[in-house]
Amino acid sequence: MPKTVDSYRFISGLTKRMIRSWISLEQPRPIPWTPLSRPLSECTLALLSSAGIALKTDQPFDQEGERQNPWWGDPSYRVLPKTATAADVRLYHLHIDPSYAQQDLNCLFPLQHLQELESTGRIGRSSPRHYSIMGYILNPERLLRETVPALIRDLKADLADVVVLVPA
Amino acid sequence: MQRELEAAGFTTITLTPVPDLTASVSVPRIAAIEYPLGRTLGAPCDAAGQMAVLEATLQALDTIRTPGEIVHLPFEWPQTPKEARADPPEPPPIGRYLARNPWFLPRLLSRSVPG
Repeated sequence: MPKTVDSYRFISGLTKRMIRSWISLEQPRPIPWTPLSRPLSECTLALLSSAGIALKTDQPFDQEGERQNPWWGDPSYRVLPKTATAADVRLYHLHIDPSYAQQDLNCLFPLQHLQELESTGRIGRSSPRHYSIMGYILNPERLLRETVPALIRDLKADLADVVVLVPA
Repeated sequence: MQRELEAAGFTTITLTPVPDLTASVSVPRIAAIEYPLGRTLGAPCDAAGQMAVLEATLQALDTIRTPGEIVHLPFEWPQTPKEARADPPEPPPIGRYLARNPWFLPRLLSRSVPG
Protein backbone atom coordinates (compact mmCIF):
# COMPACT_ATOMS: atom_id res chain seq x y z
CA MET A 1 0.00 0.00 0.00
CA PRO A 2 1.39 3.48 -0.79
CA LYS A 3 2.43 5.46 2.25
CA THR A 4 0.34 8.30 3.62
CA VAL A 5 2.43 10.71 5.67
CA ASP A 6 1.23 11.22 9.24
CA SER A 7 1.65 14.97 9.91
CA TYR A 8 1.68 14.39 13.66
CA ARG A 9 4.07 11.47 14.10
CA PHE A 10 6.91 13.65 15.40
CA ILE A 11 4.77 16.41 16.91
CA SER A 12 3.04 16.46 20.28
CA GLY A 13 1.53 18.61 23.00
CA LEU A 14 0.85 22.28 22.43
CA THR A 15 2.37 22.29 18.93
CA LYS A 16 0.01 19.55 17.77
CA ARG A 17 -3.01 21.29 19.26
CA MET A 18 -1.97 24.59 17.69
CA ILE A 19 -1.45 23.10 14.24
CA ARG A 20 -4.82 21.34 14.33
CA SER A 21 -6.50 24.55 15.37
CA TRP A 22 -4.77 26.65 12.69
CA ILE A 23 -5.81 24.16 10.03
CA SER A 24 -9.43 24.54 11.12
CA LEU A 25 -9.20 28.32 10.57
CA GLU A 26 -8.38 27.95 6.86
CA GLN A 27 -10.82 27.81 3.96
CA PRO A 28 -9.84 26.40 0.56
CA ARG A 29 -8.86 29.14 -1.89
CA PRO A 30 -8.19 29.16 -5.64
CA ILE A 31 -4.62 27.88 -6.15
CA PRO A 32 -2.14 29.84 -8.32
CA TRP A 33 -0.39 27.74 -10.97
CA THR A 34 2.80 28.20 -12.98
CA PRO A 35 3.61 25.06 -14.97
CA LEU A 36 7.26 24.17 -15.59
CA SER A 37 8.22 26.15 -18.70
CA ARG A 38 11.07 23.80 -19.64
CA PRO A 39 12.63 20.56 -18.45
CA LEU A 40 14.34 20.60 -15.02
CA SER A 41 17.63 19.97 -16.80
CA GLU A 42 17.34 23.53 -18.13
CA CYS A 43 15.90 25.20 -15.00
CA THR A 44 17.51 27.36 -12.33
CA LEU A 45 16.49 26.15 -8.86
CA ALA A 46 16.45 28.18 -5.65
CA LEU A 47 15.80 27.06 -2.08
CA LEU A 48 13.69 28.95 0.46
CA SER A 49 13.89 27.78 4.06
CA SER A 50 12.18 29.02 7.20
CA ALA A 51 14.89 27.63 9.48
CA GLY A 52 16.32 31.09 10.17
CA ILE A 53 19.62 30.43 8.37
CA ALA A 54 22.06 33.35 8.14
CA LEU A 55 25.71 33.64 7.19
CA LYS A 56 27.88 34.17 10.25
CA THR A 57 29.12 37.34 8.55
CA ASP A 58 25.53 38.59 8.08
CA GLN A 59 23.20 40.25 10.56
CA PRO A 60 21.66 37.67 12.91
CA PHE A 61 17.88 37.20 12.94
CA ASP A 62 16.39 38.96 15.98
CA GLN A 63 15.81 36.12 18.43
CA GLU A 64 15.90 38.43 21.43
CA GLY A 65 12.88 40.26 20.04
CA GLU A 66 10.90 37.02 20.11
CA ARG A 67 12.13 36.22 23.63
CA GLN A 68 10.85 39.65 24.74
CA ASN A 69 7.56 39.37 22.83
CA PRO A 70 6.66 35.75 22.01
CA TRP A 71 3.89 36.89 19.65
CA TRP A 72 6.47 38.56 17.40
CA GLY A 73 8.95 37.05 14.93
CA ASP A 74 11.66 38.73 12.83
CA PRO A 75 10.06 39.10 9.34
CA SER A 76 13.32 39.78 7.43
CA TYR A 77 15.17 37.37 5.13
CA ARG A 78 18.77 36.40 4.47
CA VAL A 79 20.67 35.50 1.31
CA LEU A 80 22.86 32.39 1.20
CA PRO A 81 25.34 31.71 -1.62
CA LYS A 82 25.06 28.36 -3.41
CA THR A 83 28.36 27.23 -1.88
CA ALA A 84 27.43 27.85 1.79
CA THR A 85 28.07 25.01 4.25
CA ALA A 86 27.25 24.46 7.93
CA ALA A 87 30.55 26.09 8.88
CA ASP A 88 29.49 29.36 7.22
CA VAL A 89 26.07 29.78 8.84
CA ARG A 90 24.13 30.00 12.07
CA LEU A 91 20.51 28.95 12.57
CA TYR A 92 18.10 31.21 14.43
CA HIS A 93 14.96 29.26 15.24
CA LEU A 94 13.52 28.85 18.73
CA HIS A 95 11.06 26.07 17.84
CA ILE A 96 13.29 23.35 16.40
CA ASP A 97 16.58 21.77 17.44
CA PRO A 98 19.08 23.55 15.16
CA SER A 99 22.01 21.34 16.18
CA TYR A 100 21.49 18.81 13.36
CA ALA A 101 21.64 21.42 10.58
CA GLN A 102 24.45 23.19 12.40
CA GLN A 103 26.36 19.95 11.91
CA ASP A 104 25.26 19.37 8.30
CA LEU A 105 23.24 22.10 6.60
CA ASN A 106 22.03 19.64 3.95
CA CYS A 107 19.66 17.96 6.38
CA LEU A 108 17.28 20.88 5.84
CA PHE A 109 18.93 23.07 3.17
CA PRO A 110 20.45 20.81 0.52
CA LEU A 111 22.83 23.23 -1.24
CA GLN A 112 25.52 20.61 -1.70
CA HIS A 113 23.08 18.20 -3.35
CA LEU A 114 21.81 20.91 -5.70
CA GLN A 115 25.39 21.53 -6.79
CA GLU A 116 25.78 17.83 -7.45
CA LEU A 117 22.53 17.75 -9.48
CA GLU A 118 23.86 20.69 -11.45
CA SER A 119 27.12 18.91 -12.21
CA THR A 120 25.32 15.75 -13.36
CA GLY A 121 22.93 17.79 -15.53
CA ARG A 122 19.76 16.70 -13.69
CA ILE A 123 19.00 20.40 -13.16
CA GLY A 124 20.13 23.37 -15.24
CA ARG A 125 21.82 25.11 -12.34
CA SER A 126 21.64 25.86 -8.67
CA SER A 127 20.72 29.50 -8.28
CA PRO A 128 23.64 31.77 -7.32
CA ARG A 129 21.58 32.85 -4.29
CA HIS A 130 19.27 30.95 -1.93
CA TYR A 131 17.08 32.33 0.82
CA SER A 132 15.95 31.91 4.40
CA ILE A 133 13.39 33.48 6.67
CA MET A 134 12.77 32.68 10.32
CA GLY A 135 10.02 30.22 11.18
CA TYR A 136 7.09 30.76 13.52
CA ILE A 137 5.93 34.20 12.42
CA LEU A 138 2.50 34.36 14.05
CA ASN A 139 1.55 37.59 12.33
CA PRO A 140 2.74 37.30 8.71
CA GLU A 141 1.56 40.79 7.69
CA ARG A 142 5.03 42.39 7.31
CA LEU A 143 6.45 39.19 5.88
CA LEU A 144 3.88 39.28 3.08
CA ARG A 145 3.97 43.05 2.59
CA GLU A 146 7.76 43.62 2.63
CA THR A 147 9.73 40.39 2.53
CA VAL A 148 7.85 38.53 -0.18
CA PRO A 149 8.03 41.34 -2.79
CA ALA A 150 11.77 41.77 -2.08
CA LEU A 151 12.30 38.01 -2.41
CA ILE A 152 10.43 37.97 -5.71
CA ARG A 153 12.67 40.77 -7.01
CA ASP A 154 15.79 38.85 -5.98
CA LEU A 155 14.56 35.56 -7.47
CA LYS A 156 13.75 37.31 -10.75
CA ALA A 157 17.21 38.90 -10.80
CA ASP A 158 18.68 35.41 -10.25
CA LEU A 159 16.61 34.14 -13.22
CA ALA A 160 15.18 31.40 -11.00
CA ASP A 161 12.52 29.15 -12.58
CA VAL A 162 11.80 26.86 -9.64
CA VAL A 163 11.62 27.49 -5.89
CA VAL A 164 11.78 24.55 -3.50
CA LEU A 165 10.38 25.60 -0.13
CA VAL A 166 11.55 23.74 2.96
CA PRO A 167 9.56 24.95 5.97
CA ALA A 168 10.98 24.46 9.45
CA MET B 1 4.48 32.50 0.63
CA GLN B 2 4.43 29.62 -1.82
CA ARG B 3 1.20 30.99 -3.28
CA GLU B 4 2.76 34.44 -3.78
CA LEU B 5 5.85 32.99 -5.49
CA GLU B 6 3.79 30.78 -7.79
CA ALA B 7 1.57 33.74 -8.67
CA ALA B 8 4.73 35.74 -9.47
CA GLY B 9 5.67 33.19 -12.14
CA PHE B 10 7.87 30.64 -10.35
CA THR B 11 7.13 26.92 -10.29
CA THR B 12 7.10 25.96 -6.61
CA ILE B 13 6.94 22.91 -4.38
CA THR B 14 7.01 22.62 -0.60
CA LEU B 15 8.80 19.69 1.01
CA THR B 16 6.92 19.48 4.29
CA PRO B 17 6.88 17.22 7.35
CA VAL B 18 3.41 18.62 8.26
CA PRO B 19 1.43 18.28 5.01
CA ASP B 20 -1.95 18.80 6.73
CA LEU B 21 -0.92 22.32 7.71
CA THR B 22 0.78 23.11 4.38
CA ALA B 23 -2.22 21.89 2.39
CA SER B 24 -4.63 23.93 4.51
CA VAL B 25 -3.30 27.15 2.96
CA SER B 26 -4.04 26.03 -0.63
CA VAL B 27 -0.54 25.75 -2.12
CA PRO B 28 0.13 24.41 -5.64
CA ARG B 29 2.44 21.41 -5.03
CA ILE B 30 3.38 19.44 -1.92
CA ALA B 31 5.92 16.69 -1.30
CA ALA B 32 5.08 15.22 2.13
CA ILE B 33 7.68 13.50 4.26
CA GLU B 34 7.33 11.78 7.64
CA TYR B 35 10.59 13.05 9.14
CA PRO B 36 11.16 15.04 12.34
CA LEU B 37 11.33 18.86 12.21
CA GLY B 38 14.81 20.18 11.64
CA ARG B 39 15.87 17.17 9.52
CA THR B 40 13.45 17.42 6.62
CA LEU B 41 15.80 15.76 4.14
CA GLY B 42 17.47 13.32 6.49
CA ALA B 43 19.99 12.85 9.25
CA PRO B 44 23.23 14.86 9.31
CA CYS B 45 25.91 13.34 7.07
CA ASP B 46 23.47 10.87 5.44
CA ALA B 47 24.22 12.35 2.04
CA ALA B 48 22.67 9.47 0.10
CA GLY B 49 19.43 9.61 2.11
CA GLN B 50 19.17 13.40 1.77
CA MET B 51 19.81 13.19 -1.97
CA ALA B 52 17.09 10.54 -2.36
CA VAL B 53 14.57 12.87 -0.68
CA LEU B 54 15.61 15.82 -2.87
CA GLU B 55 15.42 13.67 -6.02
CA ALA B 56 11.92 12.47 -5.04
CA THR B 57 10.85 16.07 -4.43
CA LEU B 58 12.06 17.13 -7.88
CA GLN B 59 10.30 14.16 -9.39
CA ALA B 60 7.07 15.27 -7.69
CA LEU B 61 7.60 18.72 -9.20
CA ASP B 62 7.64 17.05 -12.59
CA THR B 63 4.70 14.69 -12.08
CA ILE B 64 2.19 16.91 -10.24
CA ARG B 65 -0.28 18.22 -12.81
CA THR B 66 -3.20 19.29 -10.62
CA PRO B 67 -3.02 22.39 -8.39
CA GLY B 68 -2.97 21.35 -4.73
CA GLU B 69 -1.78 17.80 -5.36
CA ILE B 70 0.21 16.10 -2.58
CA VAL B 71 2.83 13.42 -3.25
CA HIS B 72 3.46 11.32 -0.13
CA LEU B 73 7.13 10.32 -0.19
CA PRO B 74 7.71 6.69 0.83
CA PHE B 75 10.66 7.29 3.19
CA GLU B 76 10.56 5.99 6.79
CA TRP B 77 12.50 7.64 9.62
CA PRO B 78 14.60 4.94 11.30
CA GLN B 79 13.83 6.03 14.88
CA THR B 80 10.74 6.27 17.09
CA PRO B 81 9.49 9.80 17.83
CA LYS B 82 11.03 9.48 21.31
CA GLU B 83 14.41 8.48 19.92
CA ALA B 84 14.28 11.18 17.23
CA ARG B 85 14.63 13.98 19.86
CA ALA B 86 13.47 17.05 17.96
CA ASP B 87 12.94 19.43 20.91
CA PRO B 88 14.66 22.82 20.81
CA PRO B 89 17.46 23.35 23.38
CA GLU B 90 15.44 26.00 25.26
CA PRO B 91 11.62 25.99 25.58
CA PRO B 92 10.06 28.28 22.92
CA PRO B 93 9.19 31.75 24.29
CA ILE B 94 5.48 31.27 23.54
CA GLY B 95 5.39 28.11 25.69
CA ARG B 96 6.95 29.89 28.67
CA TYR B 97 4.60 32.84 28.15
CA LEU B 98 1.52 30.63 28.12
CA ALA B 99 2.68 28.83 31.26
CA ARG B 100 2.49 32.22 33.00
CA ASN B 101 -0.56 33.53 31.08
CA PRO B 102 -2.69 30.46 30.28
CA TRP B 103 -5.74 32.60 29.45
CA PHE B 104 -3.93 33.66 26.24
CA LEU B 105 -4.04 30.11 24.86
CA PRO B 106 -7.28 30.72 22.86
CA ARG B 107 -5.58 33.70 21.21
CA LEU B 108 -2.75 31.44 20.04
CA LEU B 109 -5.12 28.72 18.85
CA SER B 110 -7.18 31.26 16.90
CA ARG B 111 -3.99 33.05 15.75
CA SER B 112 -5.31 36.40 16.91
CA VAL B 113 -2.07 38.09 17.88
CA PRO B 114 -2.45 40.63 20.73
CA GLY B 115 -1.42 44.24 20.10
